[in-house]
Amino acid sequence: MTSDESWIARAKHRGPRTLADGSAFMLAVNVAAFAAFAIALPDFRSPANLATVLVSSLPLLLLATGQTFVLVSAGIDLSSPALVGLVSVCGGLVMSADVGWLANHPAAVPVGLLAMLATGTAAGAANGFCVARLQMPPFMVTLTTAMFAGGLAVWLVHAVAQTETLFNLPEVFLALGRHGWVDGPLAVGAAFVAHVILARSLVGRWLHALGYNARAAYLSGVPTSRVIVCAYALSGLFAALAAVLLTARLETASPSHGRPLLLDVIGAAVIGGTSLAGGRGSVLWTAWGVLFLAMLGNGLTLLNLSDFVITIIKGLVILTAALLDQWRRHWRTTSASVADTVIA
Amino acid sequence: MTAHRIMPRTRFLFVLAAGAAVVLAACGGAGESGTAGDARSGRLTIGVAFETLQTEFWVAAWNALQARAAERQITLLEAVSDGDPAKQLDQVRTFLTRRADGIILVPKDGKTVIPMIKAANAAGVPIVLLNRPADATDAAHTVVAPDNATITRDTVAYLIQQARRSNPRVKAAILVGDLSDVNAVGRRDGFEAAVADAGGSVDVVARIPTDWNQEKALAGLQTALQAHPDIGLIFSSSDFMFPSVKSVLSAAGRWKKAGEPGHVVLGGFDGDATAWRLMVDGYVDATGVQDVFFEVDAALRAILDATQGRIPPPRIADPGFVLTQANRASLEARTWGAIVAKQGQ
Amino acid sequence: MSTDLPRSPSPAAPSAPDARGPAVPAVSWESVSRSFSGVPVLRRVTLQAYAGRVLALVGENGAGKSTLMNILGGHVPAESGALRLGGLPYAPRTPHDARAAGIAFVHQELNLFANLTVAENLHLHDFPRRAGLPWIDRAAMRARAAALLGQVGLHLAPDTPLDRLSTGERQLVEIARALGTAARVLILDEPTTSLSTRERERLFTLLATLRDRGLALVYISHDLEDVLRLADDVAVLRDGEVVAHGRAADFTGHRLVSLMIGRQVTQLYPARRDPPERASADRPDELGVPRLEVRGVSEPGIVRDITFTLHRGELLGLFGLMGAGRSELARILFGVYSAASGAIRMDGRPLAGGPRARVRRGMAFVTDDRRHDGLCLDASVTDNIMLATLAACCRTPARLVHAERVRATVRRIREAVRLSRAAEERQAVRTLSGGNQQKVVLARWLLAKPQVLILDEPTRGVDVGARAEIYRLVRDLADSGAGILVISSEIEELIGLCDRILVMRQGELSGELARDAFDRARLLAAALPATAAAATGAHS
Repeated sequence: MTSDESWIARAKHRGPRTLADGSAFMLAVNVAAFAAFAIALPDFRSPANLATVLVSSLPLLLLATGQTFVLVSAGIDLSSPALVGLVSVCGGLVMSADVGWLANHPAAVPVGLLAMLATGTAAGAANGFCVARLQMPPFMVTLTTAMFAGGLAVWLVHAVAQTETLFNLPEVFLALGRHGWVDGPLAVGAAFVAHVILARSLVGRWLHALGYNARAAYLSGVPTSRVIVCAYALSGLFAALAAVLLTARLETASPSHGRPLLLDVIGAAVIGGTSLAGGRGSVLWTAWGVLFLAMLGNGLTLLNLSDFVITIIKGLVILTAALLDQWRRHWRTTSASVADTVIA
Repeated sequence: MTAHRIMPRTRFLFVLAAGAAVVLAACGGAGESGTAGDARSGRLTIGVAFETLQTEFWVAAWNALQARAAERQITLLEAVSDGDPAKQLDQVRTFLTRRADGIILVPKDGKTVIPMIKAANAAGVPIVLLNRPADATDAAHTVVAPDNATITRDTVAYLIQQARRSNPRVKAAILVGDLSDVNAVGRRDGFEAAVADAGGSVDVVARIPTDWNQEKALAGLQTALQAHPDIGLIFSSSDFMFPSVKSVLSAAGRWKKAGEPGHVVLGGFDGDATAWRLMVDGYVDATGVQDVFFEVDAALRAILDATQGRIPPPRIADPGFVLTQANRASLEARTWGAIVAKQGQ
Repeated sequence: MSTDLPRSPSPAAPSAPDARGPAVPAVSWESVSRSFSGVPVLRRVTLQAYAGRVLALVGENGAGKSTLMNILGGHVPAESGALRLGGLPYAPRTPHDARAAGIAFVHQELNLFANLTVAENLHLHDFPRRAGLPWIDRAAMRARAAALLGQVGLHLAPDTPLDRLSTGERQLVEIARALGTAARVLILDEPTTSLSTRERERLFTLLATLRDRGLALVYISHDLEDVLRLADDVAVLRDGEVVAHGRAADFTGHRLVSLMIGRQVTQLYPARRDPPERASADRPDELGVPRLEVRGVSEPGIVRDITFTLHRGELLGLFGLMGAGRSELARILFGVYSAASGAIRMDGRPLAGGPRARVRRGMAFVTDDRRHDGLCLDASVTDNIMLATLAACCRTPARLVHAERVRATVRRIREAVRLSRAAEERQAVRTLSGGNQQKVVLARWLLAKPQVLILDEPTRGVDVGARAEIYRLVRDLADSGAGILVISSEIEELIGLCDRILVMRQGELSGELARDAFDRARLLAAALPATAAAATGAHS
């Protein structure tokens, strides 16, 4: 957070426009949501329920973290939720005791994990290559990748196992998904590393610059293509981590894992304050967004609202966040034409 | 310069953090003494998680569950996961943290449900799977599911009997479901058993794979009817494929009511609203019906038994019934499709 | 008349104008004040503009000129005081109100749509309809556009897409649009910054015509020479106050500068050392290997057979009209565009690769379009300054940015370029004035310690004070041994700053002047196309 304060430009004038800006705002929103639910719903504030909220949000945290890199680069990755399914299937094809390539082999788990992470990273890098080198629009590239990955995953499972899902994964692997103590530190640790990379590393700063103005970054000697490929590859890697978590939790490798999360992934990043226009963004903000969505989902479920209503409310919240993003940008540009005369 | 700018911000964050701590502490205190209000009042609380509410059958089951729970003074915690097993797992965990006394689950598939069963087992909460069984597992649970093979065998036996009235040698066709679905397998087996029971009088000329897909059913049935224009009996592994059957038979001039010349004896499985209407109109001869009300009752009873220390059986078969033109009037109240059809009017 | 000019040294406000205009001012600001977030930007400004006269408004960036005009244009309300339009009270709430009242605004940042045609741009606010139907009458639109373009002397097909036009041509389109709204008052904010000499002349002729037609013109510019040539009245703003207001004839350029910055300006351009001598065949070692050798660089349709040498410690100017291929040449040198043939050597070794490779070899490039190509406007001052050299402030092997080192580096360099104290390090550069933005760009490249620095229009939209500082920095860098190429359309700037000047015309080098031969007329003659040069030559 301190790094954000020293790094990220803030609007000059305090007031309503800073209120809707950055980490402090999201912290306040989260505290308010927490307080409201905690007061209204005794069930909500039970430690067991809070643990459920946190643990259930981990796959979303991983996916949204990866997405933040791409959003900051002024791109969008619509493929990461679909990659979760492909990666999951790849892991199953290596590790499953029924049809796995290394069924019951001692090396199954390390090789399987490696194959999963490699698949995700490679698919992400391929996205990045198309965007950076072939100059294709990110929206088109990743949408196509999503379709391709989704189809490939289903086809692989059918071709190899003649079923829709793969089962009987090694116990050691399943332990990665056991509620709480393993997957929690794993996901939070990965998100923390991602935060440091985005906020403090050379590549991270380059990513911000290139999201704000790719031409200026290019003309200043930033290796823009490599940095973009890196952003998409990281998104793929985090999709793979999410796939590990979901596959282990559900004890099943399935092409449909992750896919329902697409809106939540982009929504969490945008709620956190990461800009869809690029440049502005932080993994920490995204984590606040994830936490908010998780609390909202849980709280509304405890209110016994139907799933459809919850989906509608979530959609409205994400819409509001996108609107807020738009306003922030508007404030910044209009205040600039005025502020030109204020500062100098 | 910057120091005094940052100060108010730091103070703001500090105040927020302090506020959060106070709220947390308050909640922690309340959390220890507080329990689910329902548990104290003696009312039973059951978590119900459906994979989908997008078809009539599940809506009928959902409504039946709510009605029966209300009669028995049971509180329901409800959740729908829209085909997402990860979400359903979270919903089950939420039920557990809310201290539900039992869980009734409609899973997406037989595999992803296993971690949910394990989670319930670990919390010592009984869990019942409605209509869809889990794959082999040693985790304890109860399945309430229709006996597909038996119901189908009885249905098809009735169909054969009807067909043989006009023609002693019957040419028959079956629309087979997606064979990765245990329901489809059970229904296919029931069909074959009935054919075997009939001795040599039934000749199965087409076994049409549909993968539960209307278009495939349509195309397959068209081909079969061209090759064998004299098909006298068609069994559809699910009622939802009747529209395809109707369209093929109409095109061939064979869409006739029972009793009219050229009528093809038709049967299905499920007992949905379409099947009910077609039976009322006289086109369909019989359908195997899953007894939703029995299943819902059995599920609730299993959980009640478990809460009172009696271990429910691992498997409760829904015997279902064969709805025929003959018994249609008397079984209307037990046929879920009839109720849906009536509401739809 | 108004005497509320506390710091005004002497001249009274211009009294009611002579026979050319009515006694009622077309626009008058009466004790107008405005502040932003408690910072006063305008303090009780009283000012008049008359029909048939040009009022020039001068002042450093941040003096309040833009805000004063924004109040008139309905973009920002005044906090106190009043406006009168032709003697009647006037309080616009939106830009639309102002437009309806006959106020036309030609902004510094052009408000045109590059994806539309010229004709469409001219009619954004009032597409001609076909007899009350909701369809656009394209024929009428084209005819009217052609008439408006004729008025500003721009001979273009109305259907030309705007993105085919040069910046200068777009400026004229913007003025044509203002004319199309039947304006009574025309405000021009820095209209000449991106114009070539020829286009500027054309603009001035046009403005004189408009004035004579009875429009009140308000002209904001940093170019004091233009101001004195064009204006009838001049008002000088400093720190939100009118410090002088009078007839243009009563001012000199020198006095205007002193009034604007509140002190005497002794020297805009830094002193030169003895001119570096060329490395000649008999004394090859004297200056060492040239910083940059360009040999026969050609790219069809853009530049042809460019050959020149940039020496150590040399400030080489490159003059030319817009469209002569100057900026394109700069981009070829920096590896943004490729050239079909020719060779470029830096410090004796061939140059290859894109901008990144050039930066690593010690080359730097300040673009002419800092808002689009130079700065990340919404990123902080720090991020923008560190953009090219952040790797040097990273800890290996994790390549994490060393925050303390960055802070120290930024502190040091902002002192060196004298970046305004008001500019916080984490503030978005969008909020800085043009001069401070350019200093940020310069700071970025100074940190890279370039051996070769290419500057394309380095003082466009930069106020006088910042200009002098930029010149000083560039001169210091040259004195430390770097070779510097300065591209500019301002002859004075090149003459004042450079050791040698090259001239480009239609993609070719058309002249070279050593310092002792610097001469406005000769530079202009070399830059103008052959036929036009003959005509101008007769005048100068």
